[in-house]
Amino acid sequence: MASVSATFVSFGCSFNQTKCITAGKNCTISLGMRNRTLTAVRFPRLRVSCSAKPETVTKVMEIVKKQLALNDDVPLKPESKFSELGADSLDTVEIVMIMEEEFGITVEEDNSQSITTVQEAAELIDKLVAAKPDQPASESEQKSEAIS
Amino acid sequence: MRRGCSVLMLEQEGTSVINKGKECTAFPENRLLRSLNFQGEDISDSIVAVAFMRRRVFRRDMLQPVGSAVSRRFSTICSPLPLPHRREVHLWYIKPEEINDSSSQLKHYMDLLSPCEKAAVSSLTGHRLQKYAILARTLARTTLSRYYDGIVDPGSIKFRKGLHGKPEIMRQDGDNITKPPIQFNLSHTSSLIACAVALETPIGIDVEENKRKTAKNVLSIARRYFTISEVEYLAAITCPDFQQKEFIRLWTLKEAYVKAIGRGFSGAPFKNFTIKMGSDKRAPKIHIEAGSDCEGLTDNCQFALMELNKSHVVAICMERDQEISGNQNNLLRLKVWRTIPFIEDELVSGMETLNYICGLT
Repeated sequence: MASVSATFVSFGCSFNQTKCITAGKNCTISLGMRNRTLTAVRFPRLRVSCSAKPETVTKVMEIVKKQLALNDDVPLKPESKFSELGADSLDTVEIVMIMEEEFGITVEEDNSQSITTVQEAAELIDKLVAAKPDQPASESEQKSEAIS
Repeated sequence: MRRGCSVLMLEQEGTSVINKGKECTAFPENRLLRSLNFQGEDISDSIVAVAFMRRRVFRRDMLQPVGSAVSRRFSTICSPLPLPHRREVHLWYIKPEEINDSSSQLKHYMDLLSPCEKAAVSSLTGHRLQKYAILARTLARTTLSRYYDGIVDPGSIKFRKGLHGKPEIMRQDGDNITKPPIQFNLSHTSSLIACAVALETPIGIDVEENKRKTAKNVLSIARRYFTISEVEYLAAITCPDFQQKEFIRLWTLKEAYVKAIGRGFSGAPFKNFTIKMGSDKRAPKIHIEAGSDCEGLTDNCQFALMELNKSHVVAICMERDQEISGNQNNLLRLKVWRTIPFIEDELVSGMETLNYICGLT
């Protein structure tokens, strides 16, 4: 089933990285600065869903990819469920702990049980990071890094 | 080269046949067949393919004898078995590497799956995960059909999710299944897929590579997710390798428990109960921590731990049978089979393959 979050589509133009994200077996969507437009969108429908920052989503994907030792050809999407990527409960626990370390947050027990997709993890991270007392400075630092 | 023979149907001319339907260990003839080269490519695939379509037992004269006068007869039904006794667990496992990725076997296993299961397989990322999922569902279906005297077609078993999402058999109206309900649970990890079966009492199983390494230090994971007593137990272990091993064993025991009670990891946080590791004379014990989160958690269950093929740790948790009284140190009995569904079953025993750690007799 091929679908992509609207976030990726809308952030495509300001998203500086020329990463190619494979989303689904038969469809690819390239986001990047090559021609400042989206290329080859062949999905039957788009779904507006993710409200997390793209850099958060990317970082979560990197953590997940490393923890589960996923090959580059494995399609990794924001909606990817950890279980569908082959994560067992020990993997999920480690992913949560690594995310806590990388983002300097603490995920509560009941929250950690409810994270099942990359997207949900990224949204929760953004929420927890925003709730941190010294947030404003670090958030703008992240933004300037993304734009440069 | 493929090996494919049903141990139960194996015949060697001039010698008596192995009894159908009875458990049997791997005979020397079995190993002989494995070393023979089959004529043509994937000969057993074509036999399996036709068998799946026609669903009948082949006659001996349909097969070319290979090498010496050894002939094979394949069955397309799973060898029926008597039900496990109370406090006995039957464990069936598949080694995925024994099933060729490109073989037609996988496609035929896929045919057994329900539309829901097929959709779930397709949603998985990558061929390896899909293969494991197909094999896991096939293992569940073929294993369960054995306990219904081969009357039930593995492809016709219907499953549903329990209250907290645990898969269970759905009995339908008009079923002529009169036998007591069978409980089962599946687990898989790298290079092993296992299905545990018990009579009536809920069961949970978890398997893990015994040498599994964690990205995070095990004590840090334990501090985050285990109880204080468990952390103390692990922290007191000075040898890092043994500490890693005990962590994995404790993890699998806890996982087996939450699966047995049907809640899974998200439904029963690990901090709510302590498992005290057993020894060769004593089964592991569970203690439920005090607190409102812990309501509904039972401590009326027994545990077993063993090492399989020197590569995997297997933890089993079974809710205690109400009809049998006994002290908490009662041990579980276990029977283990390695299987390639519809192709080969092997009753496994011996220290090389099975190493009981605790909780088993």
